[in-house]
Amino acid sequence: MKHQRNRGWAAILATLVLVGLGSLSISHKASAAAEGKITGTVKLDGTAPHMKGIEMSKDPVCDKAHANNPAHSENVVVGKGGGLENVVLYISEGLSASELNAKPTQVPIFDQKGCMYTPHVLAMDVGQEFKVETSDPTAHNIHPEPNPLTGNIPWNQSQPPGAAPVVKSWKTPEMIHVKCNIHPWMSGWFAVVKGPYATTDENGSYTIQNVPPGSYTVTAWQETYGTQTQKVTVAAGAAATADFTFKAK
Amino acid sequence: MHRNLLKWSLLLSAVVALCLSAASYAQLTTYQQQEWLHSPAASSHIGNITGAAPAAAMPYRRYCVGCHGPLGDGNGENAQWINPKPRDFQLAIFKCRSTPTGTLPTDQDLYDSIGRGLDRSNMPSWDALTKQERADLVAWIKHFSPRWQNEKAGTPIQIPAEPEITPDRVKTGQEVFRKMECWKCHGVQGMANGPSSSTLTDDLGRPISPFNFTDGSRPLCGSTDQDIYKIFMTGLDGTPMPSFADNIKPEEAWDLVFYLRSLQPHNAYNAKEREIANQLGLKPVNPNAPAQ
Amino acid sequence: MRMWAQSHLCPKPQRVSSVLAAAFALVFLLLGASQPASALPAFARKYGLRCSACHESWPALNNFGLKFRDNGYQLMNDRDSPIWQNPGYWPVTFRITPIWHRVSSLQQVDTYSTSGSASTAQRITSSGFDLSGLDFHTGGTLEKNFSFYVLPSSDSTGAFHFESVNARVDNIGGSPWLNIRLGKFELNNLLSEKRTLWLTGNGGIYQTYHFIPVNDGNTFGQMGDNQLGVEYMGHSVDDRTRVSASLLSSNDGSVGLITGANSYSGFFTFDQAFDAGKLGTERLGAYAFVGQAATYYLTNGGVPIPGSGIGNKGFSRVGFYGQFYLGSHFDINVVTQHGSDNAWFGQNYGNAIASDGNGTATCTSTAGTTGCPPNNTPGSMLAPGSRAPTWNGYTFEARYVYSPQLIFKAVFEAERMSQQANPTNASNLGNINNYSIGYRYNPFMTSRAGFAYFGEFNLFHQDGTGPNNSSGNPTNINTSELLFGIDFDF
Repeated sequence: MKHQRNRGWAAILATLVLVGLGSLSISHKASAAAEGKITGTVKLDGTAPHMKGIEMSKDPVCDKAHANNPAHSENVVVGKGGGLENVVLYISEGLSASELNAKPTQVPIFDQKGCMYTPHVLAMDVGQEFKVETSDPTAHNIHPEPNPLTGNIPWNQSQPPGAAPVVKSWKTPEMIHVKCNIHPWMSGWFAVVKGPYATTDENGSYTIQNVPPGSYTVTAWQETYGTQTQKVTVAAGAAATADFTFKAK
Repeated sequence: MHRNLLKWSLLLSAVVALCLSAASYAQLTTYQQQEWLHSPAASSHIGNITGAAPAAAMPYRRYCVGCHGPLGDGNGENAQWINPKPRDFQLAIFKCRSTPTGTLPTDQDLYDSIGRGLDRSNMPSWDALTKQERADLVAWIKHFSPRWQNEKAGTPIQIPAEPEITPDRVKTGQEVFRKMECWKCHGVQGMANGPSSSTLTDDLGRPISPFNFTDGSRPLCGSTDQDIYKIFMTGLDGTPMPSFADNIKPEEAWDLVFYLRSLQPHNAYNAKEREIANQLGLKPVNPNAPAQ
Repeated sequence: MRMWAQSHLCPKPQRVSSVLAAAFALVFLLLGASQPASALPAFARKYGLRCSACHESWPALNNFGLKFRDNGYQLMNDRDSPIWQNPGYWPVTFRITPIWHRVSSLQQVDTYSTSGSASTAQRITSSGFDLSGLDFHTGGTLEKNFSFYVLPSSDSTGAFHFESVNARVDNIGGSPWLNIRLGKFELNNLLSEKRTLWLTGNGGIYQTYHFIPVNDGNTFGQMGDNQLGVEYMGHSVDDRTRVSASLLSSNDGSVGLITGANSYSGFFTFDQAFDAGKLGTERLGAYAFVGQAATYYLTNGGVPIPGSGIGNKGFSRVGFYGQFYLGSHFDINVVTQHGSDNAWFGQNYGNAIASDGNGTATCTSTAGTTGCPPNNTPGSMLAPGSRAPTWNGYTFEARYVYSPQLIFKAVFEAERMSQQANPTNASNLGNINNYSIGYRYNPFMTSRAGFAYFGEFNLFHQDGTGPNNSSGNPTNINTSELLFGIDFDF
């Protein structure tokens, strides 16, 4: 009766708390050979907000690069069919500590072309080296702005034309905004996460590779719309699907 | 009893959820700072003087708290009327360093900033305080932020000996000024009127002006040639001024220092550079000239 | 103010459980209502510093405040010129002190008996609520390296005079060694009387700065009074070395050219500070006040003519200063003096056109009559055996700074005649002992206003200058004063 119902609730609640607290310490043993993937599409529901055109007359070099093809803000980039580009997807729950800390060997590249960042959002793992390059014949400075109390320390380096790439890495997960002080319209992101990740393309499609079988929570992050999560279960060697829809404001 | 267990479980899980989400952006509390007050990191070594943070509690309250605030976050009662804003010691991002961008300054850097003050700001020169008091205040500054517990200060950059000032060097310095595009912010005459100067903001989004070489102001982090060298070779962290350490060779850096001196009005440091600039008939750089 | 919300995390100042706290318990009961923390407030408003940054305990300056003042009320940050301030910034500060006090002194009192009236010395004690005067301070910069200070000051009845009116050109040629001030200003005393922590009648001035032997006519050599003149002052960049030389009119700051031609004196100081590690800064210095003042005046119908003073004779006051910080809580100030007046002054010549400090001549009747000192008419001679009065004195002030908000203070002064003007005078005639003890507590410390609860007790003793007793012999002065009040400025 009342007694039993309360005991049941307490048990469920205690389990939830334990799962929530202990998820990071439960270890999964996974075999690499049976790795699957998580794939899906991220869409925007509703009318995409208008992305303002960028006026670059302060720097004739930038202006010239966009003489026939004006640049626009890239906070919300929606492709044909409503797909949201530049959304970062990563696994926020369910991976073991060793899986979380594995660092891929590839070096993601952040370029400055036509006085815009390419790609607009660069995803990477904690500790993974990345490169910042410049393809522009005008000087930039590369100035990421993490919150120093997270453990990621801001820095600010110049990149004049022809400069060598800047090679760096980050210490903790954080969505770090990047700007150029010389060109105030330039805005980009370093999405620092742990574990496998992927970024949506112009159709809003993504695939997270190298996911061991198991149950996970996938998080999608978009700079304007924030985060959404979904639970998926990945079977050995198979692809699980997680689609997301963000609502336009 | 089970009803209570239910209530407490709900409360606990709510608390846990809040903690997990808020962990990285919590405002530091005096409780946390009290723990660091007696840590080894909250001490300083400047020359043969050792500073200890607890000894600086009263001097900080007497001299500093009105601007920097009791939590050291730059929110003293007067901060709202001051521009530039007082430094937030919790973030531990400092402009005047001898260490590379993104690293902590040395004790000597902080000690020098306290003693020298920052020109054109409300940070006075505190050289009326004894060396011991200033050393203790450096240690006190270090108890405000977790960064001093977790990171070591950066390694000071190597500054080669200052060469003789020659016309060739001043000319090379101007070429560096043009190539690095310093004029984008500082203007071709150094008057802080470059094309990007009006849209500059600091790390907290507040408008900020570049240094004006021509109005007689003293450079922010000291008046000597070495101090100017350090500014562009380490960057002023927290501001738009980047580090050029990866793009300017140390020899060329001295050339740039000499050229920058020639932009300043006559002062105690730049007689030779101004004379040379005059003799050479140096004109401001032409930003529209094709890149070499 | 929103910022207050964060300051509440600052540790509250702890209650002091000392014997002194118990003695002033009435005032400490008011502590409960005080805000913890996390003068001119006008300076604090301009720069965003709290009062405690410049003032050890306002109004007394610490080394940082002394440097600020020596720089011409400038921080030397290229933002000192008033054009960098909001035009609404108003560089004016008011200061007033409502008090309660109890004064006990010997007075000459008439006695009546069947055999007629007589007079005796009797102790009279009076107490009640009272006011100090009101000071309007305005000072600061007119432009970078042009500073000023104007201080109209009223006594407790509202009668105004100019305490300070001066302008200064600072850092001439970009050098801190060259500063020139012109006007009426406080002399460059290391232990400043105008910024004294004391407010009783006899304790609110430093006796060493005002000592005048009995019957001495030289009222002009008072270091504690603001003087009219021009001052050169120089100091090192860090203010560790300071030097000054002033040319003053020997009129004790009285306006209207009441003395005469050639009545000039010079005031010279030098001090050097040493960094004593954990102890603090120690400062040693010396001063000399040497000058000449008139001893007689031409007369019109027997009444002295202001401005006609001639017969200049010399006087001097020389001594040492010391300022010793002994750790972060305790400091001691010492001033010594050897004073010497010419024998003419010793015989009361000189003060014919005495001024009440406000420029108003106090002697308007015939010289030599009651209340007016003798005039040195041609043919006058000094009485045989007249000597130059000389004396030695010292002031010793100790302060215990519990926190920037709470200070305990004590002062002891002694003045000892070493040579009386008249050989018939008792050798100790005019000697002074002056003791004071007290505290000041600032319940809040911001940069907007200053407020202090304070209490003081003063005991003043002078040999042989008291009222006559019933036998007609002078008694000693023993005056005590107990004072409590609120000192505030904004």
